[in-house]
Amino acid sequence: MTDSNTISATPGGSARRLRDVLAKPWAGTAMLLIFYLIILVIFTILSPYFLSLPNLLSVGTNASFIGLMAAAGTPLIIAGGLDLSVAAIAGLAGVIVSLSYAAGLNIWVGCGFAVIVGGVVGGANGALTNGLRLNPFIVTLGTMSIISGLSLVMTGGLTNPLMEDSFNWLGSGRIFSIPFPLILMVVVFALIWWVLNFTPFGRYVYASGGNPDASRMLGIPVDRTQVILYVVSGLSGALAGIIVGAMLGAAAPNAVGGYLLTVIAAIILGGTSLFGGRGSVWGTLLAVLILGTLNNGLTLLNVSSFWQDVTKGTVLLLAVGLDQLRVRVQT
Amino acid sequence: MPEALLLDMAGIGKSFGGVPVLTDVAFGVEPGKVVALLGANGAGKSTLMKILSGLYSSDAGTIHIDGRPVEIRTPADAIAYGIRMLPQELSIFPDLTVAENIMLAALPTRSTGPLKTLDSRRMEQEAAAMLKRLGLDWLSPHARMGTLSHHVQRIVEIARAMVGNARVLIMDEPTAALAEAEVQLLFSIIRRLGAEGVAVVYISHYLKEVFAISDQIVVLRDGQNAGTFVTAETEVGAVLEAIVGSRVGDIYPPFAEASAIGGEMVTVTGLAVPGWVRGIDFSVRRGQITGMHGLVGSGVEMVGRALFGAVPRTSIAGASIDGRPYAIRTPGVAVLAGMGLVAAERKREGIVSMLSLRENLSLANLPRFTRGWIVDRRKEQVATGEWIRRLAIRARDAEQAIGTLSGGNQQKVCLARWLLGELKVLILEEPTRGVDVGARQEIYRHIRGLANQGLGILLISSDAEEVAGLADRTIVLAGGRVVETYEQPTDAVHLMSAASKSAAA
Repeated sequence: MTDSNTISATPGGSARRLRDVLAKPWAGTAMLLIFYLIILVIFTILSPYFLSLPNLLSVGTNASFIGLMAAAGTPLIIAGGLDLSVAAIAGLAGVIVSLSYAAGLNIWVGCGFAVIVGGVVGGANGALTNGLRLNPFIVTLGTMSIISGLSLVMTGGLTNPLMEDSFNWLGSGRIFSIPFPLILMVVVFALIWWVLNFTPFGRYVYASGGNPDASRMLGIPVDRTQVILYVVSGLSGALAGIIVGAMLGAAAPNAVGGYLLTVIAAIILGGTSLFGGRGSVWGTLLAVLILGTLNNGLTLLNVSSFWQDVTKGTVLLLAVGLDQLRVRVQT
Repeated sequence: MPEALLLDMAGIGKSFGGVPVLTDVAFGVEPGKVVALLGANGAGKSTLMKILSGLYSSDAGTIHIDGRPVEIRTPADAIAYGIRMLPQELSIFPDLTVAENIMLAALPTRSTGPLKTLDSRRMEQEAAAMLKRLGLDWLSPHARMGTLSHHVQRIVEIARAMVGNARVLIMDEPTAALAEAEVQLLFSIIRRLGAEGVAVVYISHYLKEVFAISDQIVVLRDGQNAGTFVTAETEVGAVLEAIVGSRVGDIYPPFAEASAIGGEMVTVTGLAVPGWVRGIDFSVRRGQITGMHGLVGSGVEMVGRALFGAVPRTSIAGASIDGRPYAIRTPGVAVLAGMGLVAAERKREGIVSMLSLRENLSLANLPRFTRGWIVDRRKEQVATGEWIRRLAIRARDAEQAIGTLSGGNQQKVCLARWLLGELKVLILEEPTRGVDVGARQEIYRHIRGLANQGLGILLISSDAEEVAGLADRTIVLAGGRVVETYEQPTDAVHLMSAASKSAAA
């Protein structure tokens, strides 16, 4: 009897303490960070090549274009939107740069075109979802299909070379021996974090997603907020496409499209609610790194790339399930 | 000599979080009779009916059916005892047929090999028989629910409720959106049910209807029995007295002194919302609380939000705020013009529940807390701390998620958020719905304080007692029109009889 008493008493106290910790707003991100550290430790033990600066930098660099799109997608989903066309926009951006370049235009002019097109498609997504009140899933599924189709039409499905030193530097250049794509990604994350946390616009993002009706009743420009975020998402797609083109030295119409699910998975894994109102970019960044590290580590361990999708999906389900448990424990 | 009671509830008690909502309530129904259950908002009507239908469990008391004690713990228990509840809001399946809607809870099946499959023929036969029983032979069981008009959908809901051995039917404001002829159709169905021995509990604010259909009237006030009347032997006045009581005034602040009342702050002419408001004129003065009262469906629930720019297809002949012409466009425009609105549906339209108290407070006035590009959190925290103190908001701190506060404290935040800006007009929709008495008193005091500061206040409420206790002048709406204007404070009995006069105009 005494034994069972002490046993039941101790977990009671620690359960309460655990609940208090889990209720903290940063608890989800902290759990993700712990998970990331565990992965790092496991791979370090299993592979002698894993824990080296060049390898870790390459993980970050390879994840950077996904990170760019996920960074912009996070506030959009927090605000109650969704952009499935972002990866298709990235593919189109690469195509536009390569075709303008092949037509003899300055490569930076081509990049300018790509960025403009990305913004315009984002604006169209925003106008259709907010102006006509169409479901963002349907709208961006439609634009995704249109854009990836157009990319194929424009190139005939072929890959075009993109070799010009100043342009390729965007993909492989280094500043203080840190790869430029990695720096760009971190800067974009920091910028979006700043906007979300310190500006009125950021507050409107959370309010619009948390309760659009209440936000409208307070005179908050919910629609404008969302349209701006769709444009930003489109721009991030274009930027990601340019970076991929620079890294590969070529633009393939379907180079990025397959990464759409990774982008969305990273945002959700990072703790952003698909229903809006809740999320943080740091969670997304951690999730991008976790997914990238899993890929890298499993490759180093000679696990077939077919298994990597299985792992990615399992991690996503585990993380979302654990987060739901965390939310339930609080209440 | 009274017949034996079909349903007999006695000594019913219920409290939420230590606050008593029902105390020693008795309620009984004879078979085949219609009992009207009346009371002001918050009197405990719906709590009592939720106990009867198994949605809540009572803390004290007994329920007898046919003289036998029963325990109703879940809605399934209530259904098994023959108790059926028609909620105020329609709950229909627009894409299913009438027959499917009626039979959904008891779909007849037949065995097809090892499987059980839907017996469509029997389903339609049973549905048709039920419609016939209610005198609705003209309604086709094959019709798609969504193609029917609102009142027919209501009636199909009744048919659904009657499936199985229904003995007690609870109807909560069944006529709220019905026209006169439709109300008569509903009454004919209720009489048919009565002839079959089904007891009906009829909850309504429309006294005319109550007197037309009920055999008995039971009044609740502040969670207690306040009177039981035989309808045929009683007067409207006596029932109103019982609903309102004599306790009015003690939780309300004093009215505005004549000297404090200024010029017109808002003037509105020809405000119309299709289907709700049929072109009304009104004005709100500085320093005064203008009450606007009406029953559910009278259009009163749309006036404030229409003026605020939150209702599509609103039209208006002319409006001005503080002498400046005002055009209805969006809530954003209304806010810029100096208007604020505290919405009735707090959860849906008032708060962003996952954001903190601080973030909810500053949301409508964020530019005020912005320095350069950045939101000044320190300034927000100071302002939030101050309002927590001034309105006695019970919260851990400014960072607590607002969704975790009580209704009254949430409402204080909804009120306080407008006080940060340069507000001229405050529209309050049902400001104390779901708010406990203590918090109510404080909220009333602050509303009065705002009026004293020279704001124009439009208090929109279906709670006559609240309007009577707080408003310096009152406009009564019914059927989308102004039916009465009181330039002086008036009592709840007058307001209620004015509001229920021409309910189905």
